[in-house]
Amino acid sequence: MTPEMVIFLVMLGLFVISAMWWKLPIGVSLILASTAGALTAGEGIPVRHLVEGSFAYLDPILIIATAMIFMEVLRKSGALGSISRLIIIKLHTKPVWLLIFITLFIMFPGMITGLSTATVLTTGALAAPAMILLGIPALTVAAMIAMSAIYGMIAPPINVPAMIIGGGVDMPYIGFELPLLFATMPLAFGVNLSLGYKHIRDVNLQKILPKLGKDHYEKYGFKLFIPLIVVVILMLGVRIIPEYFPNLGVPFIFMIGSLIGLFCGERMNFWQVSHKAIQEVMPVIGILIGIGAFIQIMTLTGVRGMLVIGSLSLPDIWRYLSMGTMIPLFGAISAYGSASVLGVPYLLAFLGQNEIVVGSALSLLTGLGDLMPPTALAGIFAAQVVGEKNYFKVLKITIIPAIVTALWALLMIYFANLLGSFL
Amino acid sequence: MVQKYKYNQIKIKNIEFMFGVFTLIVSLMIGMIAADKFQEMHETETLYPSYALTEISHLSDYNPNLKNTNGNTEIYFFNSDSAGGTVLILGGTHPNEPAGFLTACLILENLQIKRGRLIIIPRANNSAFTHNDPQEGQPQYYTIEGIKRERIFRFGSRITNSIDQWPDPEIYLHYPSGQKLAGNETRNLNRAYPGRADGNLTEQMAYGIIELINKKNVDLAFDLHEAAPEYPVVNAIVASERSQLIATEAAMELQFEDLIYSMEPSPYNFHGLSHREWQDYTQAMPILLETANPIQGRLRGKTDVSLLLTGRDPMYLKAAELGELHVPYDSAGISIEVRVGRHLSAIKTIIDVYSNIYPDKAVEIINVPDYEEIVSKGIEEYF
Repeated sequence: MTPEMVIFLVMLGLFVISAMWWKLPIGVSLILASTAGALTAGEGIPVRHLVEGSFAYLDPILIIATAMIFMEVLRKSGALGSISRLIIIKLHTKPVWLLIFITLFIMFPGMITGLSTATVLTTGALAAPAMILLGIPALTVAAMIAMSAIYGMIAPPINVPAMIIGGGVDMPYIGFELPLLFATMPLAFGVNLSLGYKHIRDVNLQKILPKLGKDHYEKYGFKLFIPLIVVVILMLGVRIIPEYFPNLGVPFIFMIGSLIGLFCGERMNFWQVSHKAIQEVMPVIGILIGIGAFIQIMTLTGVRGMLVIGSLSLPDIWRYLSMGTMIPLFGAISAYGSASVLGVPYLLAFLGQNEIVVGSALSLLTGLGDLMPPTALAGIFAAQVVGEKNYFKVLKITIIPAIVTALWALLMIYFANLLGSFL
Repeated sequence: MVQKYKYNQIKIKNIEFMFGVFTLIVSLMIGMIAADKFQEMHETETLYPSYALTEISHLSDYNPNLKNTNGNTEIYFFNSDSAGGTVLILGGTHPNEPAGFLTACLILENLQIKRGRLIIIPRANNSAFTHNDPQEGQPQYYTIEGIKRERIFRFGSRITNSIDQWPDPEIYLHYPSGQKLAGNETRNLNRAYPGRADGNLTEQMAYGIIELINKKNVDLAFDLHEAAPEYPVVNAIVASERSQLIATEAAMELQFEDLIYSMEPSPYNFHGLSHREWQDYTQAMPILLETANPIQGRLRGKTDVSLLLTGRDPMYLKAAELGELHVPYDSAGISIEVRVGRHLSAIKTIIDVYSNIYPDKAVEIINVPDYEEIVSKGIEEYF
């Protein structure tokens, strides 16, 4: 057994023991496992590496925390409920169009930010109450939101994993629009229609109306939606006309939206709202910090290299299988990390095929990483927005859509040259 | 019963409080130890320029906005008494590519100049020397036991320190082309050219370098890099339209010394790269050199100083067996001597070819070793 394998087993073993047996939080378990890995490798207690690795997630942590505060503000102000009312009342007679609209609506923030988490926590949380009231079971709603968020993150115009993969081989992010639309839209509509259509074929509005709660729109009018509109304008502005929009950063944009929200609907105590939001999101922040340290120690000790070489060593016929499994599985650590660590070598391995189509398909596979526990960011937050504590129940429903997505991506790679000739 | 319940509740709260205090103290200690380690990297290593040095200026002389920032960096001028051309050598565009930095330092500390002028910027992105890339697990320092003195150099990051430039946009829109790249590329000097005088710190550095090239009438400009062995553009000379001829001729000459280089044209549609934008925004002939550096690669095993200096890695050996690499690789690895030696020979040959084609702009440097010398004597001989 190689030293890297021994270190990997020690890290994995201690993680399982501390998370499952000692019942320590996953973030803490990951830090312990990382420390054990470093000790086994003769690196001592690697304080610098533990902190440095965690810093990779500083920006995502800020985005997640502020997005969560923003959602709580929208919920308390009444904006969330009012949007659900509008969606249901306007579109309940046209179920197919309703689902297509909801799918695009949920995907939208992912398409412009490239972040699945921001998607789940913004439009995902907005659409969830309406979808549940329409009759779709909460867990199915969460699964639909999680999958839409992943497709949104991969769909054009902004796809960060594709940029990372392309950047690794100096391929500019040009010409990806059609391949990425092909990679995502058929799946997004197909998955959501197959999961949701049977539940909303016959919607009885009269039965739903009483459950919709107070109509805050009647009381506050258009003002209710100003925070959301400001956030969308600030996010779009910096991308469409960057000359006129300062780069505020997504966390600051969410905070601006949250502060405006305090004056646009029901009154609330901002301290309590933000405290609740941060408390809810704290375990995920802990996981991200732990994962950051874990991946740094894996790299330091050579475990990461062992895993990458291991997946590249498979015979050609198994390479597709390894791509379809290893890239999403590595996403358990980080989808972006997976794009960089595995996406780039796989793209290099397929040089000669249409690289834009291959890169697009690989980015779709990395997106699935957001469904892999323990991070499973899309799954965790989708469960949270429908009030489900056990996110594994949501992940269970996403298994078949995820397999279909992986197969779709692999077929795209196999037929990359053919697809490239007309995309 | 109620009293006992209350007592237990208070006890639990006390334990929770104590645990909270303990966690806070441990976190503060970890933070302080790590902060100290990170802070140390702001201390610049001393360089010892050769006697040929005539002037030291700063990048802020070419873009005053850089004054008192970590983007400011020294520019070393070596003027000869004979008229000739001007050559610029940039090391440390990416401080995680040590052969580029060490080549610039080695020339700076050893050269004599007979004709023309040589300008060296050893730490092109000074800010990037002050931190490491998270999750890469790379060393902060490496030591070379030089014959004159022991030298400790910093191994930095590919990009500007986020302490100096933050936050990154989600998408980096290159100025002026509008090309989109991943957000953190906004801190990559070699994606920032031609830069802006008042742009972000990295753009300001890029602008300063462009200004230097234009104001000092640089004729030939080198940007020294390294790349992962699995990367297609490696052991390569990247040349733009203007420098294609001299690069091709030099590559052929290098082949006679068994130094094989691939010739890569500067891509028209990939903006922000030194060679692309130096071609479009200056009069200089741009050349970018790449060597193969395993510590940068995604396939590497244990990441430590030994890998940095010897380039020996069992994982890359496996990768070579699998045919995943774009350079020859065996159990000898790719040592720092091999990588610096390739850069030195390429620079010397390209300058010679340039001087032959443009005799009135000739540049002549001596006392700089070539590949054979540095591989046989070791890099220690020159520090």
